[in-house]
Amino acid sequence: MARANNDILQGTLALLVLKTLQQGPMHGWGITLHIQRISNEVLRVEEGSLYPALHRMEQEGWVSAEWGSSENNRRARYYRLTAAGRRQLAAEEMQWRRLTDAVASVLAFEVSRA
Amino acid sequence: MGWMRRVQASWRRGRLSKELDEELRFHLAMREEMNIRNGMSADESRLDAQRRFGNATLLKERAREIDMLTFLETVLQDARFAVRMLIKHPGFTAVAVAGLAIGIGVNTAVFTTYKAVMLQPLDAKDPQQLVSIYRTNLHDPSAAGFSYPDYETYRDHNQVFSGLIAAAANELALTGVDDLPTAGTTGGGVASAFGFRFPSKVAGGAEFVRVEIVSENYFSVLGVNAIRGRVFRSRDVHDLQAHPAVLISENYWQRRFRADPNLLGKTLNLNSAAFTLIGITPHDFMGTNENVPDLWLPIRLNNLVNHGSGFFHDREEICCRLYGRLAQAVTIGAAQAEMNILADQTRSLHLPHSDGSKPVTISLFPGSPFGVAQDSDQRIIMWGFRLILLAVGLVLLISCANVAGLQLARSAARQREIGVRLSLGASRLRLIRQLFTESSLLGVLAGAFALVITWWVLRMLVVQISAALPMEWGSLALHVEPDIHVFAYVFAISLLAGVLFGLAPALESSRPNLSSAIKEEGAKFGFRLGSTRLRDVLVGIQACVCLFLLVVAGLLIRGSMRLLASSPGYEIKHVVGLDVNFPESVGHSPEKEEAELRQLRDSVRRLPGVTSVTAGGPTGGLRIANITLDDTKAVSEVPAPTLYYSFVAPNYFETLSIPITLGQGFARTLPPAEVILSESAANRFWPGKNPIGRKMMLDVKGQYHGRNELIPHNAPYEVVGIAKDTRPVLPWVDSSSAYLPLPLDRWSGQPFLVRTRIGPKELIGDIGRQLISVAPNLVVYAETLEDLLTATPSFVLSRLSAIFATIVGMLGLALASVGIYGSVSYAVVRRTREMGIRMALGAKRHEVLSLILRESTRPVLAGLMAGFLVAAGASHLLRGLLFGLSTLDPVSFLGVSALFLLIALFAAYIPAKRATRVDPMVALRYE
Repeated sequence: MARANNDILQGTLALLVLKTLQQGPMHGWGITLHIQRISNEVLRVEEGSLYPALHRMEQEGWVSAEWGSSENNRRARYYRLTAAGRRQLAAEEMQWRRLTDAVASVLAFEVSRA
Repeated sequence: MGWMRRVQASWRRGRLSKELDEELRFHLAMREEMNIRNGMSADESRLDAQRRFGNATLLKERAREIDMLTFLETVLQDARFAVRMLIKHPGFTAVAVAGLAIGIGVNTAVFTTYKAVMLQPLDAKDPQQLVSIYRTNLHDPSAAGFSYPDYETYRDHNQVFSGLIAAAANELALTGVDDLPTAGTTGGGVASAFGFRFPSKVAGGAEFVRVEIVSENYFSVLGVNAIRGRVFRSRDVHDLQAHPAVLISENYWQRRFRADPNLLGKTLNLNSAAFTLIGITPHDFMGTNENVPDLWLPIRLNNLVNHGSGFFHDREEICCRLYGRLAQAVTIGAAQAEMNILADQTRSLHLPHSDGSKPVTISLFPGSPFGVAQDSDQRIIMWGFRLILLAVGLVLLISCANVAGLQLARSAARQREIGVRLSLGASRLRLIRQLFTESSLLGVLAGAFALVITWWVLRMLVVQISAALPMEWGSLALHVEPDIHVFAYVFAISLLAGVLFGLAPALESSRPNLSSAIKEEGAKFGFRLGSTRLRDVLVGIQACVCLFLLVVAGLLIRGSMRLLASSPGYEIKHVVGLDVNFPESVGHSPEKEEAELRQLRDSVRRLPGVTSVTAGGPTGGLRIANITLDDTKAVSEVPAPTLYYSFVAPNYFETLSIPITLGQGFARTLPPAEVILSESAANRFWPGKNPIGRKMMLDVKGQYHGRNELIPHNAPYEVVGIAKDTRPVLPWVDSSSAYLPLPLDRWSGQPFLVRTRIGPKELIGDIGRQLISVAPNLVVYAETLEDLLTATPSFVLSRLSAIFATIVGMLGLALASVGIYGSVSYAVVRRTREMGIRMALGAKRHEVLSLILRESTRPVLAGLMAGFLVAAGASHLLRGLLFGLSTLDPVSFLGVSALFLLIALFAAYIPAKRATRVDPMVALRYE
């Protein structure tokens, strides 16, 4: 079960991260917690995938990062959505909806036949 | 933009790495805290946090990999590591680089020479516009040339060429230059060191010069000017008739006249006609030839030197080769089409029923001094080149196998290092890339050294060859600089080979079997990795190829020595052969020629120390006649038995000490004509019976002979004597031959043979003095019959191949023995532990030593046996060049095998001995 989740997660990691950052600037740990909590522990982000993904998004210019201090006064790197990131988020969201609508239609068809 | 950030990232690498570290530390700490809040113990929570992260290093690397330039970084990293590894193992590096460099270098040198010689364009301005023009005639493929009137027709009626030139080669007798400084002689240097003797021209008398006869527009079409004086011009035509002129090549000017600055304007006599020297052509200028002619003569003046030659006006007589410069924007195809139309039109200008009136095709090729495989001489050169290419290709094969074996050995020794890397998280691909980089670096280094070797080899070749050739053959201008295309090609091949061979062990060793690699499981007894078999096969291949080359070399050398040592059946030490020539149509009638020869003969006879003078052709291999034994009718049936014949003077046998075993020599001049047969000829026709008094007819219908040559007449010949067999000139011919009497007034065209009591060298000097007074127009080449043996084609071929095979074989031997040394060294290193245990259990040092030696020479022995077989096969093919040496000559075969085995044993002995010196305790503890 966990593995299946991870497969889906990898494809959509960028989308989830971008959406999370829409709420406001966040560090990596925060992003992990957020996704875990909102999805009710169903989606668990692997640390090993998160930071490379964040790095890539930074290279692509979808997020910008800067150092700040966290809640408990530790130094942490905060990521924030850029304008390009917002556009990317919108695009990926639309993509995702189209995909899920399509899958849903196929599944619904099966059920009605039965 | 994304990529710009990536480029920036590669510069700020260090700082970014630190930042990422800090970021991850923060994340880790937060996870730990959460774990503790959830109830885990401190240790457990930390461990859990770390475990979630997985391999931190890997994570960082993966993050970094997103930066585009990581690839370059890693390549640089690999390169730096490869350099360190190579420096750390200087022995391996030196051997591998040297081996590859020799292989690449030799191959490049040969390829470059091949390209430079065979594929050179015409020596002119803008050579790509020049074409060679051939007439292809189905009946006679060698008649590719044109007649002069035809040339004029083509020249005046074509629209496709901006210039059409004609050229022909000729040899003329040069006189009138005795007062001028003379330089140099004929071939020396390396050639004579290898046992070749060229006939030396007798000083005094005339000398041959290689002359190129050219149309007046030759130099303007080729776009070349004189470096001093001037060249011929088209408008000079009438002037030339009045004041005959020649040009000299700079090379000949240097070699023969020592660059005498006053030579211009002097008069030179060619075939007794006077010419003024008006210009000097540039150094190494060859024009449409493959070598540099000595002199250039205008075609219009040809009848001055070739008396009686009517080729100027005779449309049927082929004289010249044609070349043309294509006009602007004309393609070869268009030009060829037009020429063929013209050819068709000229057919009607020829006499009916002549060759010229028959249909003919004209073909055009990009200008090249080499005919399109028309010349059988050139074909031989082509084949020789191909064989040489094959041989040096073999050397390259050996050196590649060498490097491969060494790399295999090394990879086996590096199992542990590779295992550790894999366990640290290196991907297999990355590892293979790193090994790949090491091999490439090796190749690059080898390539650099190969350049040096190529340059040196070419220098040596060019210098030696130019010095070895006699001046009379024209000068050879070899422009061989290391050609960058060829070099790139050969370098690529070696790189490929080295990398491929390096890749196989890389692929195999990177297969993750980590635990066994780290524990050095390879130290198990009798350890045999798959790669060991490959290594053994490589050693075996090297041994086989080397043995083959060296055995063939040995056989050829012994064969040619045998030829020189064995007696040919006639006296060779005290006889001087004189090759007497009247240059073509010096203008003498046959009677005048005979008179001069008679004078020469008589004056030489009177020289002190001379026992007798005779004339006669060499036996065997030159002229064939059809024989019939029925004296009533001429030869009619086919195939008639044939016999080699030659004409000899009556005192021939006495002069050469060939015994007449039966009957007597030539005595009478009245019919029936006499013939003397060699013993084997008599046995062939009348086995067991007395041949004296029997009759035979000789007929040369359908057999080759020269136009004015003496041929047997159509009447029965009576056998008057039997002579002992002599060895024929060509080795595949048997010794049966017939001697026919040479009339006293037909000595022209036969070699003179002079038997002398004093040393032959002094005699040659005396003869020279006679020449000047008696026959100044004669060109005479003299050598002892002993030296003459080294000029026979079989000897030359045999010696040359032997030299070559020896050089190549020695190279191969050096490479192979070094390869064996390396291979055994590494095998020994791997089995150090095993040997320590053996010795600890009581094995003596020499027992361990013999074990290693036995095992390491096993592949060598296998290779030797294979090489034996291949060499035996080759020697059977080459038996024509062995001169009676057994094809399985024990000295060559066993000698070379023993030599190789010894060297292989020695190469294996050194590292093996080192191994036995190991302290068993140290070996046991070595992990």
